[in-house]
Amino acid sequence: MDQMVEIVDVSKSFDKVRAVKSANLSLQRGDFLTIVGPSGCGKTTLLRMIAGFDAPDTGKIRINGREVENTPAHKRSIGMVFQKLALFPHMSAAENIAYPLKMRRFQFDTIPDLVEKYLHLVKLDGLGKRYPHELSGGQQQRVAIARALSFSPDLLLLDEPLSALDRKLRNEMQLEFRRIQQELGVTTINVTHDQREALIMSDQIVVMNEGIIQQAGTPVDMYRNPENMFVANFIGVTSMLKGVVCGSGKNSVSVKIGDATVTARANGEEIAIDAAVDCAIRAEQIRIMDIDSNVGDDFDNAVDGIIKQRIFEGDRVLYAVQADELGGAMLHLFDHDPNSHNEYPINQRVKLGWNSRDLFAFPAETVK
Amino acid sequence: MQSRNSKNIPASWKLLDLAERLLVTIWPARLNKYVGWGFLLPALLLVGILLIGLGYIIEYSFHELDLATYRLKAEYSLTNYHTFINRPVYLHILGRTMLASIIVTIITLILAFPYAYMLVRTRSAMMRKFLLIALFLPFFIGQVVRAYGWLIILGKQGFVNSILTSIGLPELDLIYNFQAIVFGLIQYMLPFAILLIIPAITSISEDFELASEGLGANWVSTFRHVVLPMAKPGLVGSFVVVFTLTMTDFAMPEILGGGTSDFIANAIYDSFFQISNPGLGAALSVLLVAIGSIIVTAIFYFAGTGTLGIRQKTR
Ligand SMILES: Nc1ncnc2c1ncn2[C@@H]1O[C@H](COP(=O)(O)OP(=O)(O)OP(=O)(O)O)[C@@H](O)[C@H]1O
Ligand SMILES: [Mg+2]
Repeated sequence: MDQMVEIVDVSKSFDKVRAVKSANLSLQRGDFLTIVGPSGCGKTTLLRMIAGFDAPDTGKIRINGREVENTPAHKRSIGMVFQKLALFPHMSAAENIAYPLKMRRFQFDTIPDLVEKYLHLVKLDGLGKRYPHELSGGQQQRVAIARALSFSPDLLLLDEPLSALDRKLRNEMQLEFRRIQQELGVTTINVTHDQREALIMSDQIVVMNEGIIQQAGTPVDMYRNPENMFVANFIGVTSMLKGVVCGSGKNSVSVKIGDATVTARANGEEIAIDAAVDCAIRAEQIRIMDIDSNVGDDFDNAVDGIIKQRIFEGDRVLYAVQADELGGAMLHLFDHDPNSHNEYPINQRVKLGWNSRDLFAFPAETVK
Repeated sequence: MQSRNSKNIPASWKLLDLAERLLVTIWPARLNKYVGWGFLLPALLLVGILLIGLGYIIEYSFHELDLATYRLKAEYSLTNYHTFINRPVYLHILGRTMLASIIVTIITLILAFPYAYMLVRTRSAMMRKFLLIALFLPFFIGQVVRAYGWLIILGKQGFVNSILTSIGLPELDLIYNFQAIVFGLIQYMLPFAILLIIPAITSISEDFELASEGLGANWVSTFRHVVLPMAKPGLVGSFVVVFTLTMTDFAMPEILGGGTSDFIANAIYDSFFQISNPGLGAALSVLLVAIGSIIVTAIFYFAGTGTLGIRQKTR
């Protein structure tokens, strides 16, 4: 067990706002962790406490085995990239990258080589003399990350530095950040509210909502085994169905939704009969078919429905289908191969099929 | 659509429409490029009038006073400038003015910066209100009133001396000297300096300071390498304002100096109104304007026009 970061029961309030509520989190050396959650859920607050810009009200933070309660920000070995980058406008790119080296008293004659090395790492060779305002958005990002890494910090913190970029550049920089992180093996905590970014970049994901950590785990784990409705909803496009338990078990439950009774997966806790549940299913787990098709062996559940909405997204089509059997609930689903068969027009009756292992049941109001 | 809804349009909108149509008829669109100049005109006129006045002063300065008639002689001469150079008292006054300007400016900026910083950065709304009120209050009290206030407090029978004597200490000469003027001027200039520095600090997002700290700089280094350079435009601006205001000040040396430590402005006043020599007064004025202009130009030259926000475009 080589823990680089350990956060134990950390809370922080501002006046009446409880920004972070007893957060627990641990991160192995070399891992890339992404904290993801909606705006205002306390991500920045948590990051600022790790960086040392704010002190937690309660709880402990350990970095590289040492408790950092009494270590001011400038004595911690943490590189941080800010949402607005905060590149010093009066310093060139090279001077920005050299700044932490000078402040941390690196040997003077090693500094130019280190600056060159990190300019090269972020593919900015030869642009060291440029000032921040002479660089493009993507190049500024690169300078910011080089500056945060040039002094070989124990930990790299990223507070949504990519959120201001357009989508194409953002996707490119996500892969860039991941490449740099893996090349250096630096332990990293990234903050975002882009769930896609969390899935593609991370070894570990932490989902937060209203100051509370909802679930922590690997991207695959988060995707396959969401522990509550919030997580199921947050990762991916998910439909929510309200129902009542009519047959209970540890790992699967029968749920009455509207007039239909369906089987759903439970996450280990037994749910009482007649308890209200929220069921969730991801858009990509539902298959759309002609109304008269035979569901066959591929799916163990099927309902009829009417197409209410159709959104062309290029590589896929998103449908919203109203299923009368399920009490008129709206199901969202993707058709990933719209060219191989007819598109379904609005108001067309269709058949929807899915597998009961892809339908999750959570006790109602499990959003912590 | 316009006609269909015209009944529902508020009367004020109709009025605006009418005004717009009227405007279009009397002010054709092709004249629009002159609108900007139109707005500039009043300011240009003011500056122009000032320049005319300056022209007259320069003219006067080259005429010697005819002691027989107490009028300026018709012919041109450099007598007034010779007087300035040959009479040690004037050089002395110039030196004193410059020295005071430098001392006042530096001390004022040193005092103003933390105040402005605190005002911008404090998290306490109470604190900010207090600092703002304390900043604006002096503006309601004119310079002359303030100087007299200091006379009352620092004078021979003033507040401070009465306390000193009551506890058995000797009386001090707190007014009618150079230090009193410098003190009064600093107190007078402080709000101006603070007001000019506040926007400079506001424009530095706190992220820059946090970033600097996170990168390993303690607050002293952060101040030196990040806050100060980024606040430079505001600092240079307030340096220029405080320096020129001090250099041309009249009331403080007049009242708190009591004639013992005149500045150039006092000498100019005396030339015009005491010894009735407008030529000499004009020459002193010209010198004051020239020296001030040279210093300001030099500051902007060395600090870069970035201080005027012309060159630098920070993202
Ligand atoms: N300095 C502060 N004073 C008062 N309240 C604050 C302060 N900083 C944060 N908060 C509050 O704490 C909560 C969490 O804020 P935080 O900045 O951590 O959210 P976030 O998850 O980073 O959001 P975003 O994705 O929008 O950046 C919010 O309700 C916010 O209003
Ligand atoms: Mg944030």
